Amino acid sequence: MNDLAGKGTIITGFRNVFKVREAPILIYVVIMIAVFSFTIDRFFSMKNFEIISRQITTIGIVSVGMTLVILSGGFDLSVGAILSFAINIGGLGIVFGWPIWMVYTFMLVLGIILGWINGFLITRLAVPALIITLGTMNIYRGITMVITKGVYITPIPSVYSFIGSGYVPFLFYAAVLGIFTFVTLKTRFGRNIFAIGGAEESALYSGVPVRRYKTLVYIISGFLSALSGLILVGKSGFVQPQAGLGYELNAIAAVVIGGTSIFGGSGTIAGTFLGSVMLGIILAGLTMLAVNPYWQGLITGVLIVFAITLDSLRYLKR
Amino acid sequence: MRIIRSGRLKIIFILIGVNIFIMAVLTYLSPTFMTYANITAVMTRMSELGMLAIAETIVLISGGFDISIGAVMALSGAVLGTLHVMGVPFYLSIIIALGAGIAVGFLNAVLVVNLRLTPFIVTLATMSIVRSVVYALLKGNVLTDLPEGFLNLYYMHVLKLPLLFVILAATAVIMAIMLKKTILGRRIYAIGGNEKTAFVSGVYVKRIRYLVYCLSGFICALAGLLFTARIRAVIPDAGLNAPLEVITAVLIGGTTIYGGKGSILGSLLGILAMYLLLNGFSLLGLNPFWEVIILGVILIVVIGQEGIIRSFKASFTRRPV
Repeated sequence: MNDLAGKGTIITGFRNVFKVREAPILIYVVIMIAVFSFTIDRFFSMKNFEIISRQITTIGIVSVGMTLVILSGGFDLSVGAILSFAINIGGLGIVFGWPIWMVYTFMLVLGIILGWINGFLITRLAVPALIITLGTMNIYRGITMVITKGVYITPIPSVYSFIGSGYVPFLFYAAVLGIFTFVTLKTRFGRNIFAIGGAEESALYSGVPVRRYKTLVYIISGFLSALSGLILVGKSGFVQPQAGLGYELNAIAAVVIGGTSIFGGSGTIAGTFLGSVMLGIILAGLTMLAVNPYWQGLITGVLIVFAITLDSLRYLKR
Repeated sequence: MRIIRSGRLKIIFILIGVNIFIMAVLTYLSPTFMTYANITAVMTRMSELGMLAIAETIVLISGGFDISIGAVMALSGAVLGTLHVMGVPFYLSIIIALGAGIAVGFLNAVLVVNLRLTPFIVTLATMSIVRSVVYALLKGNVLTDLPEGFLNLYYMHVLKLPLLFVILAATAVIMAIMLKKTILGRRIYAIGGNEKTAFVSGVYVKRIRYLVYCLSGFICALAGLLFTARIRAVIPDAGLNAPLEVITAVLIGGTTIYGGKGSILGSLLGILAMYLLLNGFSLLGLNPFWEVIILGVILIVVIGQEGIIRSFKASFTRRPV
């Protein structure tokens, strides 16, 4: 086989495809679609794919932010709490009868502020992001519960539903994916995130503004969580205090399944997209097979273990 | 005085002071606080989280991390309840419930030790897996059909102290002696302090890690039994907030997430302070969600104290970056 390499044949073309790090996960996704299509008769239909695409958007958008955070060598457990805080506290604007643009801006600004708090604490206190975000997750959720007292904001004006109707959520998701693929691959900020995640000290001594960029990463994660919240409100038609519960786990699952290293410094947005698609397809398939939804957590957990095992093997090989 | 000044004991003395201070304030604010009924209620209530704190302390000292503690606690209750409903003899179901905890610990150990995965993510994944098994076993329901004898554990007292608290105290003493006075315990500290050094000094690192995770699973399962006996039911959401509560209390108690440091006494004093505060909230009629907010703030302050002091000092002196 060696003599064929580098001669520009179709075979090397194929081999190069397999060298792309997303290739294995893409193959799993295709296999999974094939298996479900044969076993479930309504699976391979436009209607079903529309449902799946709508389902994966909210966690998908959060996962993009999580990818940036994990790439930079950090961790964000507070994404679900930020989502809930942003839509519930921002939702007070709906109660007060603010115009929609003001409510949306307020929600997104809340996401940015909470993300900034995470970033500020992590960079200034120099302690593991994991513990800080475990703390802020509970602070944000606690404040949400204290202020809302657990009450839903339920009849909301129909203008809020536009963002969650039809393919609109997916368009948002596609835009976020496009922007952040560009950011990670083509901008100085993006490349420096990889540098920080790979070797923070070296990045610092090479003149990368580590603190500023790390804070920015958490701000982006907070912003995207709030954006995901807007879409969630649009889709569900109400604001509930428990929104976003367990998103952190699903987002981490999508990111690590997509081949991003949990040690930071290596990974892609495209991989995370495939990870989200995979989770979405499994979820939809199991729902259609009438598997008890309680087993969802088991599948997510097993997939995480599987993905980080692969990651760890790759890491050990180097 | 030298003993007091040594770093480890300083934290213990501060914690004892904090606990006495909270008690004094609560005694002043609420006439029902310093009653036998209320004090024993606090003791009973802290029994299961105290157990989880013991488990978490041992794992953290060994340089690991276990976020699945709450889920394992729920699992042992769920297994116990389900087997009892199925008609399995009760003593057997207790053994199987404890076995289930050890099994989860073993699973964690395999993933952490043999596949060399990050303990935090591994236990996050097993937490999700175990919780889903719990929901599936109970189908989201609450089970109250448990034998009278088991439920009466709640009312039993030894020397006027609640039995559940005595079990906690006994476990704490045994584990503290294990950690401080046995070769095994010293080796747990050693692998947490510096795994490589311990390994080249002839410590079987892998074997001890296995033991630590299995022990954690076992203690968490025991906590699940205490919890079931205390609330007289098996509930699927048991221990949902446990990771935050326990990790906060343990870190307050002087154990570090970097391994090699910590004590069970400190962790239990941390749990006690937390429960006294909680008890105070309910006596004073505050919204219980304030608990998680305060815990979150305490967690960040405790873990970031050095950074906070550093930033505070730095704000008085100009420096680059």
